[in-house]
Amino acid sequence: MSAGLPWLASREVLRVLKLWTQTILAPVAAQLLFILVFGLALSGRIRSVEGVPYDQFIVPGLTIMAMVQAAYANNSSSVFQARFDRYINDILAAPMRPWEINLGLSLGGAVRALLIGVALLAVALPVTGAPVHEPLALALAMLLALVLFSALGVVVGIYADTWDHAGFVNNLLILPLTFLGGVFYSVDVLPSPWHELSHANPIFYIVQAVRYGFLGTSDVSVVLALGVTGALAAVMVAWSSWLFATGRRLKP
Amino acid sequence: MSVADGDFFGLLGPNGAGKTTLISAVCNLIRVTAGEISVFGHPHGELAARRLVGLAEQDVNLDRFLDVEETLRYHGGYYGLDRARARARAREMMDVFDLRAKAQVRAPKLSGGMRRRLLLARALMHEPRLVILDEPTAGVDFELRLELWRYIRRLHAQGTTILLTTHYLEEAEELCEEIALIRSGRVIARDTADGLRAAYDAGSLADVYVKAMGAAAA
Repeated sequence: MSAGLPWLASREVLRVLKLWTQTILAPVAAQLLFILVFGLALSGRIRSVEGVPYDQFIVPGLTIMAMVQAAYANNSSSVFQARFDRYINDILAAPMRPWEINLGLSLGGAVRALLIGVALLAVALPVTGAPVHEPLALALAMLLALVLFSALGVVVGIYADTWDHAGFVNNLLILPLTFLGGVFYSVDVLPSPWHELSHANPIFYIVQAVRYGFLGTSDVSVVLALGVTGALAAVMVAWSSWLFATGRRLKP
Repeated sequence: MSVADGDFFGLLGPNGAGKTTLISAVCNLIRVTAGEISVFGHPHGELAARRLVGLAEQDVNLDRFLDVEETLRYHGGYYGLDRARARARAREMMDVFDLRAKAQVRAPKLSGGMRRRLLLARALMHEPRLVILDEPTAGVDFELRLELWRYIRRLHAQGTTILLTTHYLEEAEELCEEIALIRSGRVIARDTADGLRAAYDAGSLADVYVKAMGAAAA
């Protein structure tokens, strides 16, 4: 491993910490509002979903939603900014291997997501009383989800020609798919064809894997949920690795 | 084309001649489709070759999230310096380039002259054997240009190989031991400033430039 990798990773984390009000505080506050408004306010009307109190039911989905969005947004904006201002040349010219540059740039988003996850759960678990039934499955689900969305952020940061491109993927793809992925409801209650269509949504499997880790229940088998998430993560890492290995879009 | 170890080599040519493309190829910033490049005997893509090269690009491409000291330390880290060495070297560079008072200032808040100095200091952080300067004095005032010339001369006197591109003929004449004129990606003339004047029967480097470019275009 080159000596440059820890420096690059720490540069990405430093950027997150320097911008902590935008990168950490804002998403934590937004998700806590979701938990308070949807969970505590609606829990009087919606007593439980599949035997789980509603305020606990939404914690896993909202937590992972905040984390994957942060991982994606961090890496897409950091990589795009580096390309836009051309200081990425300082990294591309340095004695680091393509996979090291890819990993270094990806870690910022993952660390940001973990900080948000820890902050959210530190408040949400005591307030809602949500349990952590399967910590290993939870850790694996979160790891795979962060790998997937960190790599997606890097890929979009490399392809984006404008800031709008990076926002487009978040606003018109990730956010709607997350809301339709069973964050606020069990897809089992949906009528056909919405029930079947939900199974074509990749984020559905991430939400299910994380929900299983917290609550011990999910709409699909946890093995299937982890398998789909892992396969998507592998595809996205392969894509970002190919971009760095070939220099495509990064080098004229 | 080859540049000898310890040489001060200048590349002159019009916009689009291929100066920046050549530099970018050496520094792995473009995808090379044909030919071979080696740096002190190492293929240019190898990590060993990359460690030996320092680049100050024509455009000021500083990391907007880092302050002056961080810019230098992180660059040193990318090139393999450990934390203690990177910190010490960053302070050394800030002293040499008179940047110490701005150590905690982020790049976007610096004046144009300060950014140029930081760009040069960053290129020298890891003590490269080959320093590539792509129009280092473009757009700077005369006073700073003289100051940068002094830095560059001192660097060369310490044994560093320098590859300089410039549009300023007097800069090439003042600094470079050898000059190549480049047009449409090809070297059309190469010699010392005196040798070029003699070869083209010209009184100044400007006359050499006009004659050589005219002949190449014909």
